[in-house]
Amino acid sequence: MTRYLLRRLGHGLLIIFGVSLLLFILQQAAPGDFLSDMKLNGQISEDTAKVLRAQYGVDQPLPRRYGRWMLSVAKGELGYSFAYNVSASSLLAPRVLNTLLLSVPALAITWIIAVPLGVVASAWRGRWLDRFFSAGTSLALAMPDLLLALLAILIALRTHRYPVGGMHSVGAQDWGWFARMKDLGWHMVLPVAVVVIGSVSPILRQVRSSMIAVLDSSYMRAAEGHGLRKWTLLFRHALPAAANPLISLFGLSVAMLLSVTLLVEVVMSWPGIGPLLLESILSRDLFVVIGAVMLSTLLLVIGNLIADVLLYAVDPRIRVQA
Amino acid sequence: MSSLNVVSPNPEQLLRVSGLSVEYRSASGGIIHAVRDLDLAIGEQESVGVLGASGSGKSSLAAALLRLLPANAEWVAGDIQIRGKSLSTLPRAELRRMRGAGIALISQEPALALNPVLPVGRQIHDVLQAHFTLDQTQCNEKSVAMLRAVGFDDPERILRAYPHQLSGGERQRAAIAQALVCQPAFLIADEPLSSLDAVTQSEVLRLLQRFRRELKMAMLFITHNAGVLSALADRVVVMRAGEIVASGKLDELGRNADPYVRSLIHPEEALTASNGASTHGASTRGDVKNFPSARAYAATVSATSMNSANFAEQTVRMPQQEGSTPLLEVVGLTKEFTQRGFLSRKKFTVRALDAVDLSLRQGSAVAVIGRSGSGKSTLARVIAGFERADEGQVLLQGVPKEKSQPIVREVQMIFQDAGTALNARFSAAESIYEPLVVAGQGTELERRQRAVQLMEEVGLDPDWYGRPAGEFSGGQKQRLALARALAADPKLLILDEAFSGLDLPLQAQMLRLLLDLQSRHGLTYLLITHDLNFISLFASEVIVMDEGRIVERTTPLRMRESSQSVTQQLVRSAERMHAPGLEAMA
Amino acid sequence: MTQRKRTKLVWAAWFLAVLHLVVLLAGFFAPYSYDTQDREHPYAAPMRVHLVDAAGRWHFRPFVYGLKAREGSLTAYEEDHTQMFPVNLFVAGEPYTVLGRFHFQTHLLGVQSKAGVEAPARIYLLGADGFGRDQFSRILYGGQVSLFAGILAATLSAIGGLFLGMVAGMFGRPLDDVIMRVGEIFIALPWLYLLISVRAFLPLQMSSTATFALVVGVIGIVGWGRPARLVRNVVLSARERNFVLAARGFGAGKFYLMRRHILPATMSVILPQMALLVPLFMMAEVTLSFLGLGVGEPFPSWGNMLASAQQFHVISSYWWMLLPGLAPAPVFLACHALADSWQEKLKSAV
Repeated sequence: MTRYLLRRLGHGLLIIFGVSLLLFILQQAAPGDFLSDMKLNGQISEDTAKVLRAQYGVDQPLPRRYGRWMLSVAKGELGYSFAYNVSASSLLAPRVLNTLLLSVPALAITWIIAVPLGVVASAWRGRWLDRFFSAGTSLALAMPDLLLALLAILIALRTHRYPVGGMHSVGAQDWGWFARMKDLGWHMVLPVAVVVIGSVSPILRQVRSSMIAVLDSSYMRAAEGHGLRKWTLLFRHALPAAANPLISLFGLSVAMLLSVTLLVEVVMSWPGIGPLLLESILSRDLFVVIGAVMLSTLLLVIGNLIADVLLYAVDPRIRVQA
Repeated sequence: MSSLNVVSPNPEQLLRVSGLSVEYRSASGGIIHAVRDLDLAIGEQESVGVLGASGSGKSSLAAALLRLLPANAEWVAGDIQIRGKSLSTLPRAELRRMRGAGIALISQEPALALNPVLPVGRQIHDVLQAHFTLDQTQCNEKSVAMLRAVGFDDPERILRAYPHQLSGGERQRAAIAQALVCQPAFLIADEPLSSLDAVTQSEVLRLLQRFRRELKMAMLFITHNAGVLSALADRVVVMRAGEIVASGKLDELGRNADPYVRSLIHPEEALTASNGASTHGASTRGDVKNFPSARAYAATVSATSMNSANFAEQTVRMPQQEGSTPLLEVVGLTKEFTQRGFLSRKKFTVRALDAVDLSLRQGSAVAVIGRSGSGKSTLARVIAGFERADEGQVLLQGVPKEKSQPIVREVQMIFQDAGTALNARFSAAESIYEPLVVAGQGTELERRQRAVQLMEEVGLDPDWYGRPAGEFSGGQKQRLALARALAADPKLLILDEAFSGLDLPLQAQMLRLLLDLQSRHGLTYLLITHDLNFISLFASEVIVMDEGRIVERTTPLRMRESSQSVTQQLVRSAERMHAPGLEAMA
Repeated sequence: MTQRKRTKLVWAAWFLAVLHLVVLLAGFFAPYSYDTQDREHPYAAPMRVHLVDAAGRWHFRPFVYGLKAREGSLTAYEEDHTQMFPVNLFVAGEPYTVLGRFHFQTHLLGVQSKAGVEAPARIYLLGADGFGRDQFSRILYGGQVSLFAGILAATLSAIGGLFLGMVAGMFGRPLDDVIMRVGEIFIALPWLYLLISVRAFLPLQMSSTATFALVVGVIGIVGWGRPARLVRNVVLSARERNFVLAARGFGAGKFYLMRRHILPATMSVILPQMALLVPLFMMAEVTLSFLGLGVGEPFPSWGNMLASAQQFHVISSYWWMLLPGLAPAPVFLACHALADSWQEKLKSAV
C-alpha cells in the first residue's frame, strides 16, 4: 500500500515540477523582463528595482534561478505582488480557501447526482428515462458555462431571492457565527449550482457508458443467469467493476471543475483564485500569476491522490500490481 | 417442422419447447432468424446434446430457455414450458428464482463468468443468498462443500481469493461451483469447452460428468464437438439454421447419410473421403456467414487415393532425394523471457525454449503438440523470424538465417485469430496480393488475377474479391489468410494454432484443403496445436514439447505406446474427448 | 447506421456547412459592419418585422417601424408608427471585403430612408449594444473569429497530436515515455488555468490579427495532449495486430506499415476527435476573449460581446445582449452529432 501511494505521490510531484518548469520557461521566454515593465510604474524607484532584481536573482544563470525559486516555493514563499505591495502568499492564501469553499461542495454534489443517475440510465438503457437524461446532458453540455453564469446573475437580479455575486453580505463580519454561516450558504447557492450544472453532464455520461460496458460483459450475464436480484446486480456487482475508469475520471473531473470554478468566480464575483489570477495577468503581476497556477496545480494533485487512494480501496487488481 | 423427438410426452416434463422462433435485428436493420419453429422435450435427469455448426442457433436456444436473450433479439413465437409452467407468462420474481436454483447456465469460457473485482467467496455467497435465506456460517459451509466437490483441496483460500489470483483451470472450476451451488435440477452448458486447451477440456468434462451423476441433473449440452457427447448425452439433436434436422442416439446418427450431420458426427471423413469433395449444403453464394462449399476446389483436386488409417503416411509428397539437406533445421534454440515486477526486486526468468533441435524434410507435415506454455508458439515465432532466439540457429535449406534478416518470404505463418490477421478494411483481393505489393511484383491487373486464382484454390467465391475482409466469416478469413500466404510463394507454412478456434467440421475441411495444396505447391507444414484432433490424418510426425524442451519425437501411430508422461496425458485427454481421427491411431 | 441517425448526420453536416458559409460571407448577410455605431439608439431592442401595419393594412413588403424614445426614459424605445421603412433585399450598403481580398457592397437585407426627409433607418434584428451597433451583424462577424478559431486550433492540435502520437507509438521507448509523460501533464491540468497562464506571458496589446493567430496557436498547442495519446494508443495496438506481423512476414518495412496499415487506422480515430475538439476550442476562444485575453475591441468575438453584458444593468434590462452566449450551442450539438455518427461509421468498418 505504501509503495503504491509513494508511486502516485511521485507522479503528482512530477506534475508539479512539470508545471513549474513550464511556467518558469514561459516567464523567461516572455518578452521583456517583468521588472522592466515595473520600471514604467512610477511607484517603484530604480533603486528598489535593482534591489529586487538582486533579491530575485534575475541576473543569475537559468538553472540557479530555477533552483532558488523552487526552494522558496517549497518554503511557502511565492514571490511578491507588485500590484498590492504584499507577499503573493498572503494574497493567495485566503483566496485558496474561498475557491475550496466553492469547488469542494460542487464536486461532491456533482458526483452524488451523476453516479446514481448514470447507473439508472444504464440499467434502463433506451427507455424514456435514459433518453431524457441523454437529451438533458446534451443540452447542458452545449450551453456555454459563461452563459449559465450570466443567466444565474439574471435570475438573481430579477427574483431578488439570491445575492448577486460576492461571498458575504455587506457588514457580515459584525454578525454572529451562525448568521454568518447562513449568509455564506445563501451566497453559495447560485455559484455552486452553476458549477454543478456545468460539470455534471460529462460525468453522468461516462458513468452510464462505463456501466453499460460492464453490464454487457459475460460475468454480468452469468450473474443474471444465476438469479441475482436487479439491485444486487447493479450496485453490488456492476458498479464496483465499473469503478476503475470512474475513479480515473474523478481526477480529470477535479481539473474540469477547477476550470469551471475559475469562470464562475470571475463572473459572479466570488473572491477565489480566479479573479485574482485574472487581475494579475492584466496588471502583469507575474509572481501572483505563477503562484496562483502552482496552487491550482497543487489542488489538482491532491484531488488526484484522493482518487488514487479510492481506486486502491475499490479495485483488487490494482492492489496486486502494487 | 414437426418434432423429431422420440420421448413419450409427459405432462410434467422438465422441459418442453414447442414451436419456438427467435429473431435478431442486426445493426443494419436486417432480420436474422436464429431459431425457427423448434420443438424439443427433455425429461427429468435426461441428458440431451445439441450439435450444430456456428450460426445454427444453439446459443439462442440456450439463452431463450432462461429468457436471457440480448436486447436486439425477440422471442416471436412458440412456448417454453418448465415443469408445466409457461416461461412467457412467468412473473419476473419467479423467473429470477428459477434461474440459478432451478436451471443453471454455463457458457463458453466459464472463467469469464467471474466478476474480477469481487472475491470468489462473495460471488458464490450472493448466488446462495439470492435463492435461500441462510446466515453467513451456513453460506460458508455450503460454499466450502461445493468448492471441495469441484476438486479444490483448500476451499478457504479460494473463498477469499480474487479471480485474477487463481490459475485458469482453478477459475473454470470456481465458476462451475458458482453455477451449481444451488443444486439445480437442470443444467444448460453452452459450448463450455471451446476456448480451453485439451487437457483442461477433459478435466472440465469429467467434472460435469460427475456432477450429472451426483446431483442427478438433467442436462442440455451444446457443442460442435460430437466426441464429447458420447460420454455425456443420452440423446442428441442436430441443429442447422435454427431448425432441428436430426435426432436420436449418437451411434444412430453416426449412420445417418445426411452430409451435414455426417460432417458433425464424423468430421474426420473430410480428410479421408476418397473423392475429396466434402458435401456441405449451403453454397458460398448467398449468406456470407454460412458454411462455405468445397466444390470450388474439389473439382481441381487431383484424385489421389486416400483411404483411412494409414492415410497420413501415404500422403503424396514431393519426391525427396535421399541425403539431401532438410528444408528446415533448428539447432540448439534457446530463449528466455525475464519478467520483473514493477518496482520490485524479484525477477523471474522463464525458459520458453531450451536447446531445441528440429529438422523438417521438404514435403512433410509435422505437428508440434504440448500444453499452453510449453513453448510451441515461441518456437513458431522464432522460426518465422518474429522473435529472436538467445542462442542457437535456424537453417533454411542448410543456410543459416542471418541475425539481421530473420524474416524470409519462404517461411510464412498463419495465425490463430484470422480476424486480427487481416486488415478488415482491405478487400479480399488487396489482402491476398499484399505480398506482391510489398515485393513490388506484377502490375495491378496481374495482381488481381493472381488473387482471384488463389481465391479459387482455397475455396472462396472469386466474385467476392472486392468485398472487405471484415465481412467474411471466421473460416473464410482463414482461407483468405491462407491465400495470402500462398501469394508469397512459400516453402514452409507454419500454422500457429490456426484452426483451434473453428468448429470441428470446419477444422477438418481446412486440413483437407492444406493437404490438397501441399501436393500442388510442394509445401511443407509445421502445425502447432494443443489438441490431437485430426493429427493422425494430417501429420506424419509428431513432436511433443513441454516447458520449452522437446520431450519426444514420434508418429501418430506410436503415440499411444509412449513412455513420456506428457504424451500420455495428451493422449488420454484426447481419448476422453473422443478427438476425431483417434481411431486411426489405434 | 439506422435511418434516424443518418438523417441526424445529414442535418448536422448541412447545418454546419451553411453556418460556416454564412459566417464567411458575413459582410453580405449582415446589414451593417461590425463597427457601425449609432449613438442615437444605444441598447435598442430587437425590432419586429411586420407585414400588417398599425392600421391593420397588409403590405406586400415586410417593413420595420422607426424608433422613438419612450416617455421619460433614456434607453427604452418604442415603435414610431409614423415612420415605416420597407425591408429591401440586396441593398447597396457599406462596403465590405470577403476573405480580405474581394470587395463588395451588396447586403442581403437593409432598410433605406430618403436622405434629409426621414430619420436614418435602422434594422436591428437582434437589438443594439451600448454604442448602437447592430448585434445581429456583430454576431455574424464574431462567428468568423470564434468558429474559425475553433477549426484552426483543432486542426493544429490534431496535426501536432498525430505527429507526436505516431512518433511515440512507432519508435517506442524512451521517446514514447517522454512524449506521453509530458502529454499527461497537459491533459491533467485544468485547461483554463493552463490557457490563461500561457497567455499571460505573451504580450497583451497586439493587433487583432496577431491576437487571433496567437490565440489559435496557444489553444492548439495546449491541446495536443489528448489527440497524441489517442493516436499513440491506436498505433501501439495496430503494431501488435497480426496483420502487421503478417505484412512484416512478406518483408514490409516500417514506412510501408505506417502508410498502409497504421495511418488509416489513426485517421478513423483522429477525425471524430477533431469534430469534438472544434466546439471545445471555440469555447476556449470565447472564454479568452470574454476575459479580455483574446480578440479585443472593436472586432467582435462572441466572447468579448458577452463581456459587455457583464454589467448588472445590462443583464437585467437588455436581454438580447446575452444572445452571443447562445450562439455556440447549436455548433456544439451539430459537431457532436457529426462526431457520433463518424465514430459509428468508422467503428463498423473495422
